[in-house]
Amino acid sequence: MADFRLQRLPSATPAAALGARILAIALALIIAGVILAFVGKNPLALGLQVVTSSLGSSFGLEDLGLLVIPLILTGLSVTVAQQIGAWNIGAEGQFYAGAFAASAVGLFAPLSGGWSLVGMGVAGAFGGLVWILIPALARAYANVNELITTLLLNFVAILLVYYVSTDAWRERGGVANSATPRIKAEIPEFWGLVHWGLPIAVLLALAMAGLLAFTRWGYEVRLIGSNPAAGKYLGIAARRHLITVMLLSGAIAGLAGMLEIAGSVHRLQGGISNNYGYLGIMVAVLARGSSIGVIFAAALMAFILNSGIILQTQGLTTSTVLAITGLILFLTAIGDELSHYRVVRDKS
Amino acid sequence: MTEPSPRYVVPTGAAPLVQLKGIAKYFPGVIANQDVDLEVMPGEIHALLGENGAGKSTLMNILTGIYQPDAGEIIIDGYACQFASPVQAIAAGIGMVHQHFKLVNAFTVAENIHLGWSETPRRASAPVLEERTAALAQKFNLQVKPSARITELSTGEQQRVEILRVLARKARVLILDEPTAVLTPAEARELFKALRNFVSTGNAVIFISHKLDEVLEISDRVTILRGGRKAGTEFAADCTPAKLARLMVGRDIVLADMRARPPGAAAVSSSPVLRLRDVSVLNDNGHTALHGISLDVRAGEILGIAGVAGNGQRELSQVLTGTRQAATGVIEIDGHAIAHANAADFVRRGIGHIPEDRLQSGLAPGLSITANAVMREYGKPPVTVGGLFRPGAAKTLARSIASAAEVVIPDFAMPIRNLSGGNQQRLVARREMRIASKILVAAYPSRGLDVGAINIMLRYIVDLRNAGAGIVLISEELEELLNLSDRIAVLYEGRIMGVLDNDRVDIDEIGLMMGGRLRGEKGAAHG
Repeated sequence: MADFRLQRLPSATPAAALGARILAIALALIIAGVILAFVGKNPLALGLQVVTSSLGSSFGLEDLGLLVIPLILTGLSVTVAQQIGAWNIGAEGQFYAGAFAASAVGLFAPLSGGWSLVGMGVAGAFGGLVWILIPALARAYANVNELITTLLLNFVAILLVYYVSTDAWRERGGVANSATPRIKAEIPEFWGLVHWGLPIAVLLALAMAGLLAFTRWGYEVRLIGSNPAAGKYLGIAARRHLITVMLLSGAIAGLAGMLEIAGSVHRLQGGISNNYGYLGIMVAVLARGSSIGVIFAAALMAFILNSGIILQTQGLTTSTVLAITGLILFLTAIGDELSHYRVVRDKS
Repeated sequence: MTEPSPRYVVPTGAAPLVQLKGIAKYFPGVIANQDVDLEVMPGEIHALLGENGAGKSTLMNILTGIYQPDAGEIIIDGYACQFASPVQAIAAGIGMVHQHFKLVNAFTVAENIHLGWSETPRRASAPVLEERTAALAQKFNLQVKPSARITELSTGEQQRVEILRVLARKARVLILDEPTAVLTPAEARELFKALRNFVSTGNAVIFISHKLDEVLEISDRVTILRGGRKAGTEFAADCTPAKLARLMVGRDIVLADMRARPPGAAAVSSSPVLRLRDVSVLNDNGHTALHGISLDVRAGEILGIAGVAGNGQRELSQVLTGTRQAATGVIEIDGHAIAHANAADFVRRGIGHIPEDRLQSGLAPGLSITANAVMREYGKPPVTVGGLFRPGAAKTLARSIASAAEVVIPDFAMPIRNLSGGNQQRLVARREMRIASKILVAAYPSRGLDVGAINIMLRYIVDLRNAGAGIVLISEELEELLNLSDRIAVLYEGRIMGVLDNDRVDIDEIGLMMGGRLRGEKGAAHG
């Protein structure tokens, strides 16, 4: 007589982890399909529509390419902070701060062409960095939980941008009165609508991966992230590393805001982030701490968002789309946990 | 120390309160218990003695309904019982206080006492609960403050709450798992008094421990487990520590003298390599943990630090390795005073450190075995060249550390928490030995290891001493200290009670010093 029981493994095998993810996404789509069928839509037709419009045309692919740029960077921002054991929930705010600072340079600095872009890039990264500075110092010196501080600063940044784009920097005589004038410096496009921000984002993710895996600094960061007490045991300046990494995380999110301004939107306006900062948390969770994984997770997230846009044109509401996104994340988390288990047979 | 209890006599005619017959429990590949008998009479304090992994915890988990036995009987008051859960065991009057308390920290004492208890009044305000708790405390003569939150209590007070919680549920058999491990000597005396009081009314205590002296002091009878089987039950009054130790490890404790140097071993240096001069150290709470201590460590010698854990050992090992700053005093390495140095500087000067809590501070559990193995040498060639970390070179180094530690590693990319505690400890020891060219500070290196692994660990230490390093060996095991150390310093409440040469050591004297007596006039000069 043989009994079956579950055994928990301390770490999942890569095959099991991948299998669990594919299963989770498939399951989420099936559940979504069933719900769509209930509200009278044809899920198969909708699915086909989504796939053909986003992957089957160059317009669709270009949209994906545009969406993936900020997602890579905000996902990378959250992932980098995770390496040292910090949760940057404020990529959203740092994105806005970066967009704000970059716009200030783009609108008011007496720079021309390429130099203006460089100035905007530096300002964007710096804006994100400043936005995470207080949470980073508070965590490092007073052990204040960064979850709260980074999150709350999001609202400050969002409202700041609303204020300047509807009042101080508003385009006078413009149509909508809710955006700045167009910023002249633009990142050139290299493929349809897709600008050079994409290769920059991908390279940055690769560079982060290399920095963490192939430098002494990266080793120390991973070590402290895994066990802060080990930093003291080894005499590593854990506090300095924590601050550096958090500032870097903020700067990356700030750069995402700059690329969005200079690459796609060209004006500062309210709601410019499209929730990219929060979606970056999802990207980071899907990437499971891997900077290279961020690229793929961002691509998946872009596809989901793009599908959402297409579904909206088919008469579905945004909340339906958000629900599907949430479902995928939820099931992926369950799948990640379940991939630690295997069924063993007791012989008796 | 309390007066030795009068010789215990098994009451005639009374049924045993607890009787276990032929208990067996198997886990995959392990026999945790086999043929274990245990008899506990009313009014008895019965000690359960055994090494790590001897099956004490499994047996008690069976008695308290956490595990079900694969064979054997549980007989309470003469009736056979089966406990499907701890709830049934406590209903039968059997309660356990675990080594790691199971209290809700944010709750008050009264709330913890009444949590999950069928007799808790349905409508209970804080004053009602506190009043009931005060009544219980009075009844069982255990002083607790009902309105205090658990976080405000000392470990000894928390333990009293745990005991009260069990007694309130009308336990007649109280099982205590290494209760004194977390207590100061004064608190332990209080506990012993409370236990005597408890059994005087016909109740019983099962006392799990591996401290021989304590077992002899408190218990009436002792059951010794070895390798999952019962090695014997003895009257405490008929036992000596040596006899118990023999039953526990299944061999006479040979004071295997590991102090002899093989030919070619480094001699003890005349001048110290590491000196502490009037060093005082604060603990995490800002209290003085070490009071102006002075110690010398010479090359090629083993300096043992004896004492009950919690008397400043942690802070001593930290100040010796640069992981904690001295508040006052001077630390000298090779005659040079070190000011404001951190652990990395100490490592650079050839000082290795096997920390007492290796998983908490000596390892990064979630990182790979490779990343953990290179923790001390990652910053220099061959692992890092020109700021670049070379994973290939790191793996080569990890491989050589693992092979020196004789640990078989299937996959170096696997997180180190997947390894057993013994293998982790061996890797840490080898990693530290590689850098400990001058001094190795080993805090409880054999803690949590089985006998075989302990021997390997001690052999490592002797090898390193023979190679010319000075060793500071902090241990609770006197036997281990006597076998290895050239000199033994006794630490008590943050002070050095004296330093003894091993040749002229008197175990009774060490015992007295561990209990806080200063070194007597007889004996050699300070080391």
